[in-house]
Amino acid sequence: MTPWQQIWTIARLELGRVFFSKRSFWVYLLAIFPSVIFTGHAIDATLKARQWSGRGEKITAEVMNKLQTGMTDQEVLRLAGKPVTDFERTRRPRRREEDPDAEKQPEVRRYMMYFDGKRRVDLRFEDGKLVGRNTRDLLNFEEDRKVYAGMFQFFYLRLGVFFGCLGIFINLFRGEMLDRSLHFWFLAPVKREVLLLGKYCAGLIAASLIFGGGALLSFLAMALPQDPAELQTFWQTNGVEHAVWYVAAAMLGCVGYGSVFLAAGLLLKNPIAPAIVMLLWESMNGFLPDVMQKLSVLHYLQSICPVPVPLPSDMPTVMKMLLAPAAPSSAAVAVGGLLGVTALVLFAATQAVRRLEINYSTEA
Amino acid sequence: MIVFDNVSKFYGDVLGVNRVDLHIPPGITSLVGPNGSGKTTLMNLMTGLVYPNSGVIQVRGISPFAPEKLMKILGYATQYDAGPRGATGFDFVYTGLLLHGFTKAEAQRRAWASIERVGLTGAAKRKVAGYSKGMRQRIRLAQAIAHDPEVLILDEPLNGLDPLVRAETIALFRDYGASGRHVVLSSHVLQEVDVFSDQVILIANGMIVAEGQIRSVREEIHEHPSQFLLHCRNASRVASMLFEEEHIAEVKMAPEGQGLLVLTKNREAFSMALERIALSGTDIDGVMPTDENVDALYEYLIGGGR
Repeated sequence: MTPWQQIWTIARLELGRVFFSKRSFWVYLLAIFPSVIFTGHAIDATLKARQWSGRGEKITAEVMNKLQTGMTDQEVLRLAGKPVTDFERTRRPRRREEDPDAEKQPEVRRYMMYFDGKRRVDLRFEDGKLVGRNTRDLLNFEEDRKVYAGMFQFFYLRLGVFFGCLGIFINLFRGEMLDRSLHFWFLAPVKREVLLLGKYCAGLIAASLIFGGGALLSFLAMALPQDPAELQTFWQTNGVEHAVWYVAAAMLGCVGYGSVFLAAGLLLKNPIAPAIVMLLWESMNGFLPDVMQKLSVLHYLQSICPVPVPLPSDMPTVMKMLLAPAAPSSAAVAVGGLLGVTALVLFAATQAVRRLEINYSTEA
Repeated sequence: MIVFDNVSKFYGDVLGVNRVDLHIPPGITSLVGPNGSGKTTLMNLMTGLVYPNSGVIQVRGISPFAPEKLMKILGYATQYDAGPRGATGFDFVYTGLLLHGFTKAEAQRRAWASIERVGLTGAAKRKVAGYSKGMRQRIRLAQAIAHDPEVLILDEPLNGLDPLVRAETIALFRDYGASGRHVVLSSHVLQEVDVFSDQVILIANGMIVAEGQIRSVREEIHEHPSQFLLHCRNASRVASMLFEEEHIAEVKMAPEGQGLLVLTKNREAFSMALERIALSGTDIDGVMPTDENVDALYEYLIGGGR
């Protein structure tokens, strides 16, 4: 049996335990959370479209564009028909101090909303005159893609993949120590390094499928409800590429974080300590010199994300440094760097597993 | 040979074993010692589950630092109850065989054969977590023998076994021992293993206190003063008669008036003396050895005799 066959045998035996471990069931929740959010958003948009289409006059985009400020409410009603919503609010103005006795007529404000099937326009009338209009897409692909990019980098990579890998990889050795079953593996005729790689592969396959799948699912949940024409254009231009990079980033996150937490599970008894240290390291990475930044998993992952997260221009520099990679690497450097960091960590882990002894009494 | 050359193992400040030199030949070897004496540490050292702080170990010429070679020829039934979570008895044995590189068909055949050998065929598809203590012992034994190892290490293998299974298990050890393999097992009861062991290693406080063929160890037991409890009605008369015997080292009243506690340097002479006392018309209701257990031997061997 070659070492590769041994690695695959170990990975295969471990996979079931990794996938169906009660201890890390919450990992699935982390992975599907973004999909739930975007699916909810899509369902909400669909329900609203159906609800609004049934209520008022469904106007055309041309009519919507004709609704301009200065028109009276009656003109609007004649042009566009019955609105989806129509209500009035009466507002009594404050008396001025210099003329407290002056009688002020109450202001009547009327609000109407029309819907053309994709966009809604909110109209505000004062004293019967249209004074404000605000047009919004029910689903805005461009905006949703930015929201997805933000969610992916700030939640999915920093928290979802991070803690998910913590849950999966730290249990590969530490969990077996706690279950008092690690000796079963140590009594197999395999090198400790091979055992480590087999277990790492099991964790990696499981984590990659869970988080890569989660990334793809949430991406589709964001994209599929969009306007079919826009969507088709997106797929024909860079849609597939974006999806591939998001999935790749999630999987590479599992590669990097997985190796770190596997090593941590070998070296340390308490998983909380390495998790906090790692989280701090990853968070403060933007403040470090370039060389140090390259020792961060997140740096490489952010570098290969296809859509940069739009940060408000008025955001403090400190926050910008925390949230965005200071000097993104090219895709090739990012992938290569990440694999390099992973190889280093796995090498350290093989040294640790060679020295690892079975002493369950100290694990309680 | 299994060789320990000046091996010491410490768990932090706690002594595991100290300066152990052993040459264990093929056959059945029993490691005997009280709880915490270092038996499991010796076994874990042999199998590479723990590493020595100093010294060298070789198992049939293979270092425990090379599990990929050692585990091909070695099976170890540990004292640890747990196996892979959720595994059935069959899975437990079968997955171990897959790790040995057997094909699925061969692994299945071997798994069923070894499970049958320990008499667990009916329970093979039940989860190990639901097994009784004795069944867990047997499934661990099945896993240890499934790949037909040259060296079989067994940590307290007779614990929790009923008499019938115990006899079958001992027969299995004898088969292995007779075929030129190593069978190394541990026990804290000397009487339990001396009937089938080719040699015994007595260990206490992490040190080897006696080793050799079972006969020589038995002689060591017999050479040290033995204590007996005599149940008799006329204790003072029996005591005075015993004091006339040269081999009697001590006679004292047993607590709670149970009879007499007698310390003799010669068991055979003591037996004959009791016969004479009984023939003289003094009733002796019963004789019971009080220090036949291995602890008494340690006390003697380690303390340098009484």
